[in-house]
Amino acid sequence: MADTAADLPEAAGRRFADGAFTSGLTVPDFAACLQMGLEPVGFVQGFCVMQWQWYGMGSPYGTFGVPYRGGTSGYSETWQCPHGFVSAEHRGWGQNYEQSWIEDAWTTGFASACGRMVEEASAVGAHGVVGVVDTTEPLAGQGVLEFRVQGTAVKVAGGPTPAEGRPWTTYLAGQRLAKLIEAGYAPVSIAASVASVRVWAYCITAYLTGGTGQSWSRQVTGAEIEQTSKAHMAVRQIAREHVRAQLAGDTLHGAAMATSDRELGEGDVELQCILRGNRVRRFKEFDPMPAPRPTVRLL
Amino acid sequence: MSEAGHLDTPGAAPVDMKKEMLDAATVLSGTAPARSGPKGRSTSTTSDLSIDEEIALHSIGWEPIELVCGVSLHSIPMGVWNWGQGEITWASNAYASAFAAATDRIHRQCAKAGGHGVVGVHVEPTVHRNHVDIALTGTAVRPVSSKALSAEAVFVSDLSGRDFALLTTSGWAPVGLAVGASFVYAPRRTAGVAIKQKSQNVELTNFTEAMYSARESAMERMQRTAIAMRGSGVVEVKVTEGPMDFAHHAIGFAAYGTVVRLVADAHQPLEVRMVLPLDDPVLAFDATSLRGG
Repeated sequence: MADTAADLPEAAGRRFADGAFTSGLTVPDFAACLQMGLEPVGFVQGFCVMQWQWYGMGSPYGTFGVPYRGGTSGYSETWQCPHGFVSAEHRGWGQNYEQSWIEDAWTTGFASACGRMVEEASAVGAHGVVGVVDTTEPLAGQGVLEFRVQGTAVKVAGGPTPAEGRPWTTYLAGQRLAKLIEAGYAPVSIAASVASVRVWAYCITAYLTGGTGQSWSRQVTGAEIEQTSKAHMAVRQIAREHVRAQLAGDTLHGAAMATSDRELGEGDVELQCILRGNRVRRFKEFDPMPAPRPTVRLL
Repeated sequence: MSEAGHLDTPGAAPVDMKKEMLDAATVLSGTAPARSGPKGRSTSTTSDLSIDEEIALHSIGWEPIELVCGVSLHSIPMGVWNWGQGEITWASNAYASAFAAATDRIHRQCAKAGGHGVVGVHVEPTVHRNHVDIALTGTAVRPVSSKALSAEAVFVSDLSGRDFALLTTSGWAPVGLAVGASFVYAPRRTAGVAIKQKSQNVELTNFTEAMYSARESAMERMQRTAIAMRGSGVVEVKVTEGPMDFAHHAIGFAAYGTVVRLVADAHQPLEVRMVLPLDDPVLAFDATSLRGG
């Protein structure tokens, strides 16, 4: 699918030109938007369906006999067995590494869906998209992932055309958007990133995760599982760095960090962290409101 | 905006939201320059606070600076969940150690970002058969444009930005997170007692006693931590308790909350104003009440 407004389905163009607006806003959000001079013009969506395999293009699996990464860019750490012997049963070496091919695939899916939503908004002459909701779900069984981004395109009454003709986007709508504006922030865009880290456990990690450390070394029993702890810290750090790279000096507001893991064996795990939030820019000087006055509601 | 009290402030001019939105749109169009943050600061920040929380923080002279986290996983040896007597110390210690290590990491991230503390910390504890995972995520904050502190001096709190502002206004300060956890075996019943209880609806005292035992140990540990921090008390205590999914004869009890200390000479009474909302909540009639039962 090309990324120009001219490539919108013909029916979409007719529908948007019909006159009546469509919107995903609740009635309170709708009322708050009107109060701010935002006029809804259309419910806009963007989709992207991606082939989704953990061993996708760019992964080291199948390329070498051992799936360890070495000398690649991104996060990577290795651990050596302290026991000093070699055996097929004994994991003599462990590694944590960033799975950039998974991050790239996710970023492509999300950015394409988001870009298509913005393209629709641009086609109807909107200045921005409010109340954005994004979802990522398996489609048609395993191995296929659908990225969906949707929101309500709005015009700012009497407002200038957005920079480069590209409408701004925000997860906020209604009262929360009004408060954001009143606090001095203008919504620039939604920001989202993913980080993926694979843990190939070495012997100590495998023993500790399985609770069998005491067979090998009394002192490690009950200890911290250092390799996995570091992977958890790293996956969050990478997600933050990816989002920071999108900010270009702006602020990330109202972020949500969601981390999930997929156990693959004793100590072996794949971690994923998705960080999303609102990229905002200060449009007026810092002017804090007076301290809120506590109230008691009489019901 | 009435929640923030801005429009309610006597003498404050009504906010022209259309003009504000237009100003924002003008900056976004690139025809007007963006403004800098507090005291001319233009550094980019990240935060998971809501706009309400951020406004509340700004109103007391604080600002968010960075999203920070701390994670730690500690091992529990195999076999400790089998039948036994008393406390399962391996599990209790693993929980405490994982929490301490995760807290230490979030402290260091906060200090590195220049924060004086972390607010709105989400605590995600997970107890598996062979390991305990603790993940803490929150936003580092500081008084506007103040200097950085050492990692030992910063506080970590699970209070929201709004609660933090309210606490600060009343002359109190959060000191840190206190946690207590205990895992206890429910003692085995004799065959005779088990058969006898099976046919009657009677209290299973072994479980009740295990629950009390775990609770007392956990609460005592949490209180001891608060005292070690020289706190006056613990607020917003959250409790999880019950049998473990993978070992129903073992009872776990975990409690955590924010340790607070009075920093003003005395508690500052708040000038609370009573309001009578005119949006009538639907209390007079509830369709579910017609269903009976």
